[in-house]
Amino acid sequence: MIVDVNFVGLIIASIMASAVPLILASCGELITERSGVLNLGVEGMMIIGAISGFALMTVTGSLIIAVFGAMLAGVLISTIFAFLTQTLITNHVATGLALTIFGIGISAMIGKNFVGIPGKEFPVLFEGLKDTIPLLSPILFGHSIVFYFAFALPFITGYFLKKTKIGLIVRAVGDSPESASNQGINVRFVRYACILYGGAMCGLAGAYLSMIYTPQWIENMTGGRGWIALALVVFSTWNPIKILIGAMIFGGLTIIQFHMQAIGVRIPVQFLTALPYIVTIIVLVVISRDSRKIRLSTPSSLGKSFHKDN
Amino acid sequence: MNTNLKISNVTKIYPGCVANDNVSLEFNSGKIYALLGENGAGKSTLVKILSGVVIPDEGKIYLNKNILKLNSPSDAKKNDIGMVFQHFNLFETLSVFENLIIDSDEQRENLKEKIDTIMKKYNFSVDLDVPVLNLSAGQKQKVEIIRCLIRSPKVLIMDEPTSVLTEQETSELFLSLKKFSEEGILIIYITHKLKEVMQLCDEVAVMRRGKLVSVSQINNENIESLANKMVGQDLKTIKKKKENTSSEQLIKITNLNFTSEDPFETNLVDINFSLNRGECLGIAGISGNGQSELFQVLSGEIISNKNSIEFNKNFIGNLNPQERREYLMAFSPEDRLEQAAIPQMAIFENVALNNFKSSNFFNNGLINESKIKEHSKKIISEFNVNTDNIDLKSQFLSGGNLQKLIIGRELITSPDLLICFNPTWGLDVGAINYIHETLIKINEQNKSIILISTDTDELLKLSDKISVIHRGKLSKIMNAEDVTSEKLGILMGGGN
Repeated sequence: MIVDVNFVGLIIASIMASAVPLILASCGELITERSGVLNLGVEGMMIIGAISGFALMTVTGSLIIAVFGAMLAGVLISTIFAFLTQTLITNHVATGLALTIFGIGISAMIGKNFVGIPGKEFPVLFEGLKDTIPLLSPILFGHSIVFYFAFALPFITGYFLKKTKIGLIVRAVGDSPESASNQGINVRFVRYACILYGGAMCGLAGAYLSMIYTPQWIENMTGGRGWIALALVVFSTWNPIKILIGAMIFGGLTIIQFHMQAIGVRIPVQFLTALPYIVTIIVLVVISRDSRKIRLSTPSSLGKSFHKDN
Repeated sequence: MNTNLKISNVTKIYPGCVANDNVSLEFNSGKIYALLGENGAGKSTLVKILSGVVIPDEGKIYLNKNILKLNSPSDAKKNDIGMVFQHFNLFETLSVFENLIIDSDEQRENLKEKIDTIMKKYNFSVDLDVPVLNLSAGQKQKVEIIRCLIRSPKVLIMDEPTSVLTEQETSELFLSLKKFSEEGILIIYITHKLKEVMQLCDEVAVMRRGKLVSVSQINNENIESLANKMVGQDLKTIKKKKENTSSEQLIKITNLNFTSEDPFETNLVDINFSLNRGECLGIAGISGNGQSELFQVLSGEIISNKNSIEFNKNFIGNLNPQERREYLMAFSPEDRLEQAAIPQMAIFENVALNNFKSSNFFNNGLINESKIKEHSKKIISEFNVNTDNIDLKSQFLSGGNLQKLIIGRELITSPDLLICFNPTWGLDVGAINYIHETLIKINEQNKSIILISTDTDELLKLSDKISVIHRGKLSKIMNAEDVTSEKLGILMGGGN
């Protein structure tokens, strides 16, 4: 049997493409959680990003406005979360769940007018280099700018947290908001900023889905990816590189199980569909077993409200 | 240059409590000042005002005759006021260096050089690259002090700094503080430990219930006079009567081991001891050396090998706390609001949690409220808990009253053995006295006590036998008369 190397390359590229929204949302949520805020509204923020991006693209015709508009929509909806949890000191978990329900509902409402409208083609980079190197060309070239950004993001995130002063402040706030406040750090400001950044990344992840990955609007089109992104953050033990690994495994198994179903492998469909979820979590748990490292990278104040009293 | 810090008519009122009532004080550099008072006397509020964490309702603060506006901790830092809090303000999961650089504006290299200079000058040695959670309490405190020194402060405030230190670490700290003072840093030392005031300070201000009661030179004071000022009444000194204790063995621990999966817990290695009726065994040690694991193993929170604990001729190593209580053991854990009581539940409900088969608190699965309330009232009156409202949520009791309630709950069933862990931690002198009296009383009734404590004075006062726990190992059991606090200090630090 002859295997076409370019076909293998294409499969890998499609796995990477399916990992993009997970990486974007997870890396955004990672920063939010590292500051000690648990935002369970990822799914809601993603779907708001998806409908906003698609709607703006259809209405204005401008892809740039659509992409940045989707990020802005993510920021706006996360501002609600930030205001509730940081200013009104509501419970993180309940507020995050409410945000998801709200996001799914409002996106369906706005989306009514956009069902069945075809999307636009999103420009890709390095199209001309597509046939130069066997196997690698389909992986490296001919993707959207968001794709390249997503694969750079885990490394940028890691560098930001480890090497920069602002990253240090974010980690410090997540470790002990009381100490940070006593050191003169404005905890509420830092947490607002991290929540809003997380919102922007989730918005971008949603826009990628509705504008690039499957360019159309379908109700509930994020299909639980927000929850997977949340799980990736936790099971990667707040490590952006492991998020990348987890997203690739999840994307890979999703794509492969599709192919297996198509070929007609005699395994129950339900099992195949469940496979990516189970395997991703098992792999991440296995590669993150070092309890010392878990202790060092877990934000100690995660999900706890901080109220400065005078 | 001389530094003069003046607090003028400062008042801070919290709902239901005047924390600082028109307090005025003046400090000059070159001296070490003690701010003395019981818990709740208002000294912590006052230093929080000086460090910008709390904003006073009234009053002004002057540094070298200039009025200071302290609206946030960074204002205090800008005005060269450094503060080492009682509960460390460190980021446990960040490295020492990251902790230090986070509020510094300097370049990495410059800062490293500066830290090296400070460490050399004062003979500190701390590894800059390890995460703070791996440091001992003494080292953490050094990190806090270095953090202050980086900014070359004019004023350094130390809030109850020795509560987590060994004797040796305490004397090291005192040497450093004296050195800082000679170099012109104004030092304000907050404590409720009288001995330390006499050892270290030049002047002492005493606070009681938010008011300043006296300011005096240390030469004109002694421990008794300060204690009376602090409490506002004459304290009786209690002493344990030495009697011939019975030789009937009550509890025997044989080859008890505990290996934890959590790397931040301490493993217990080959614990062996026995205790007779009417005796108090004190277990000393720096916190984090296995005390809490030992308490959990003894109380049954952690279950061990059946034969490792023999109590009253029964092997009970595999029983849980409830079952051990039926054998007449009683427990008072360290953390009053987390382990011993449930803060959101009423006093009587907390009492009911200590449920015995014989107590009939529950009938056919229903709560017998009147029975429990009657029982609770008995505890409250017998153990001097200062409230008559048994429906009060236990979080609203002061530490002293809560501890009395817990000890009362445990003792009202007259158990044969009480195991307590830091029973007087954070309490004021009056409450400490009461708890100590109670513990002595139960020894006199031929009941036994295992007292795990980080307070050496307490251990020397109450124990008949003393052992030291260090890295999960117990030293040999010594008779309390043959032990001095210096000797304990050496053993606590791992020496021989």
